[in-house]
Amino acid sequence: MRLELRDVKYVYAPGTPFEVEALRGVSLAVEPGEVLGIVGGTGSGKSTLVQHMNLLLTPTSGEVLVDGVDARSLEKRELRRRVGLVFQFPESALFAPTVEEDVAFAPRQLGLDEEEVQERVRESLRALRAGDLAARSPFALSGGEKRRAAIAGVLAMKPEVLVLDEPTAGLDPATREELLALILDLREAGISVVLVSHDLDEVAEVADRLCALHEGRVRAMGTPAEVFYRDPTRAPATVRVASLLKESKPEIIGVPVRFEETLAALRTLPGV
Amino acid sequence: MENPGEGTRPGGSLAVYCERVSFSYPGSERPALSEVSLGLRRGEYVGVVGPNGGGKSTLVRLLNGLLRPDSGRVRVSGRDPATEPFEVRKRLGVLFQNPENGLVAPFVEDDVAFGLENLGVPRQEMRGRIANAIRAVGLEGYERREPSTLSGGEKQRVALAGLLAVEPEILVLDEPTSMLDVAGRREVLERLEALRAEKTILHVTHHLEELADADRILVLNGGELVAHETPERFFSDTNLLRENRLVLPFVPRLALELGLPPAKLRTPEELAGAILARTGSETRTG
Repeated sequence: MRLELRDVKYVYAPGTPFEVEALRGVSLAVEPGEVLGIVGGTGSGKSTLVQHMNLLLTPTSGEVLVDGVDARSLEKRELRRRVGLVFQFPESALFAPTVEEDVAFAPRQLGLDEEEVQERVRESLRALRAGDLAARSPFALSGGEKRRAAIAGVLAMKPEVLVLDEPTAGLDPATREELLALILDLREAGISVVLVSHDLDEVAEVADRLCALHEGRVRAMGTPAEVFYRDPTRAPATVRVASLLKESKPEIIGVPVRFEETLAALRTLPGV
Repeated sequence: MENPGEGTRPGGSLAVYCERVSFSYPGSERPALSEVSLGLRRGEYVGVVGPNGGGKSTLVRLLNGLLRPDSGRVRVSGRDPATEPFEVRKRLGVLFQNPENGLVAPFVEDDVAFGLENLGVPRQEMRGRIANAIRAVGLEGYERREPSTLSGGEKQRVALAGLLAVEPEILVLDEPTSMLDVAGRREVLERLEALRAEKTILHVTHHLEELADADRILVLNGGELVAHETPERFFSDTNLLRENRLVLPFVPRLALELGLPPAKLRTPEELAGAILARTGSETRTG
């Protein structure tokens, strides 16, 4: 599916002294089968934005379109199945005695027959390389395992767009890299992924396109190279190193963003 | 006999001392910590790293008495956290990962005061301590702000001020920056850096670059203390890193790949400078 936001504005607590304009006219599209990274500092509106993607929040003005159709005209349950939202620290919502039952909870609500439910549970856990966790208690898992179990619960709904809000926060670096690899697997499987993160290094590794938010507005939108080289002070370490070197070595090596690209580019410099 | 003079207590004059400490969570098959021994001298800055589930958080909870070891000894300034948790918490403050969980009061200054209120500190002294703590984290003028209106970095600094008001000699930092954005991380790290001169610090983190200045780095994996290194050796030991599921951040990793010293080059500027120096010498000699 193609998910589009058109000039979305959102005001918290309108008409009260606590009124805050969290989104000030955001337009963007999540194209089918892409990984869209959403970056920005605390308070830039990232979490507010993603809650519009399945209408957990309804825009104060502007619209959300699913394949060109106003999302408000769609059935909410169906919309929330098609656009799966994984909140920050999703493991806090794990509740069942086993991982398997936890993952089965949501698809069971869809009224699927039990065989189909079990198939989806197996598939989702396998997609997250968490098949060995099925019979375990979610409460006895490590942080990274819990995170994967929680994401599997959303994946079992077979969403077309999976929105991950800071999915790697608090995970160790190796677990973080595994989760990023899983995001690429999901894209291979045809699922669009929206990755919200404050970690530019990780977004740089997996995103096809980027949307940089600042104070509720889109500050920049484009490929990671376009966005990051426009303002290298707000870029991952790889781009900062390469752009610093470009000042005195303009012959360098295109506009590398990912780690491996950057390493290869640096290696082409004489003497390095 | 349990409380002889300072010098003869277990752990002697060490700020933190663990001797063959083991702990298992109820119902779990494998121990969360297994025979871990370590000591922190006063004034040391020691990092703790390791994979999720390696035992880092369990260690922190044993140090402040939230958990009690199944066997072995834990001492904080010579006291046992399991039997004297309140005495220990005056001396050892823990800054946790998520500042949201720790902030309870309507205003910043009340939050900073919260930990003090149970210590029986006279009112007048409390005021002074709160003011000092707020200054130490750079939040003057925020006293009457509501914590919920603050950024993540500011919230974490409020939590830090609450610890500092208690005036502990030891700070335990349990992934204090992992929930923060780049700006928030920088704010908190700057404040922590300024505290190094006066506190003993144990810093648990996944961000290895935060430990480039540490006196030592401990690696916990599978509940065991598997290594104990200086940052220079640790950053260059690719086998140790891999075996413990540790990943260097991009700057030191690029440095390592290019044969430059990873622990010395922390910022993109430093790395770019080192690369330029190399290409420069090449053009001169070649």
